[in-house]
Amino acid sequence: MDMAFDALTDASDEALLVAYGNGDREAAALLTARLSPRVMGFAARMLGGDRHEAEDVTQEAMLRLWKIAPEWRQGEAKVTTWLYRVTSNLCTDRLRKKRAVDIDTIPEPADDAPGAAAGMIEADRARALQAALDALPERQRIAVTLRHLEDRTNPEIAEVLEISVEAVESLTARGKRALAALLSHRREELGYVED
Amino acid sequence: MSKTEHTMIDDAALEAFFVAARSEAPAPSDALMARIMADAEAEARARETSTVVARPVRPVRPGLIAAVIGALGGWPAVAGMVTATVAGAWFGFAAPDEVNSLAGGLLNIDSAATATMYQLEDIVPGGTGLAAILEEGA
Repeated sequence: MDMAFDALTDASDEALLVAYGNGDREAAALLTARLSPRVMGFAARMLGGDRHEAEDVTQEAMLRLWKIAPEWRQGEAKVTTWLYRVTSNLCTDRLRKKRAVDIDTIPEPADDAPGAAAGMIEADRARALQAALDALPERQRIAVTLRHLEDRTNPEIAEVLEISVEAVESLTARGKRALAALLSHRREELGYVED
Repeated sequence: MSKTEHTMIDDAALEAFFVAARSEAPAPSDALMARIMADAEAEARARETSTVVARPVRPVRPGLIAAVIGALGGWPAVAGMVTATVAGAWFGFAAPDEVNSLAGGLLNIDSAATATMYQLEDIVPGGTGLAAILEEGA
């Protein structure tokens, strides 16, 4: 099934995946452009910001998508939900192989550079958030990342984690409280000023 | 959670960190995208070649006719032969001009196409042998 290019750019993820399953390479190119940044962003958050590991996971997750394309049943699940679930599982597998972080331990700030009250740069805050994310239990990390960094809805996150929406809300709330606690130690260094 | 002298940051403050993190999202490298596309190509190609499978052997029908047809190469071959035979008979009987030209003007001697392509002597064998000797004498 060959679609005209302008029809392709408007096509849903699902339509593109089915087209690729029938051999349409352009559909695969579009899916790669659309979806690999999402997978990469999520994987990097889960894996402590390690780009190399995140790229490995991204490639593996997309490969699984290519393999399942001919069997994809339309209207059952969203392609992104499926991909996030695969990525989540790949990440937790990798993390399990490393030592678990003790959630009662507040990590030392990775960066001791004076944070200058004058203007915080986004990069410092982003790094601080990543360090705090690294300290969260995996499922809280998944929930908070998908909700607040990948902008997914609670129902979709529930499908990714295969739990109820209430459970997602609980995970997200606990995760945010933990992040706030971790980040509050560095408030002044990070230039957060109360008015 | 450990006690801290700092006041806990609130949702709005936390949101500032989220905003920063979103703007600094790690993006896939061009090399990674190329590898992903290469995987897509490999998978598609593997599927395409694996669909070319050998046709299953047609079961032999019982009986003599079936045996003969089997010897001739099965019904499709027999059907082709029948078609060719019928077509040949038809072309010989009423060759359309186009077919006549293609056949070198030899199918339908009386047709106009034949007249333009050949002199009568060309069609009638006579250039060699006894005819040649006889002609010399004419």
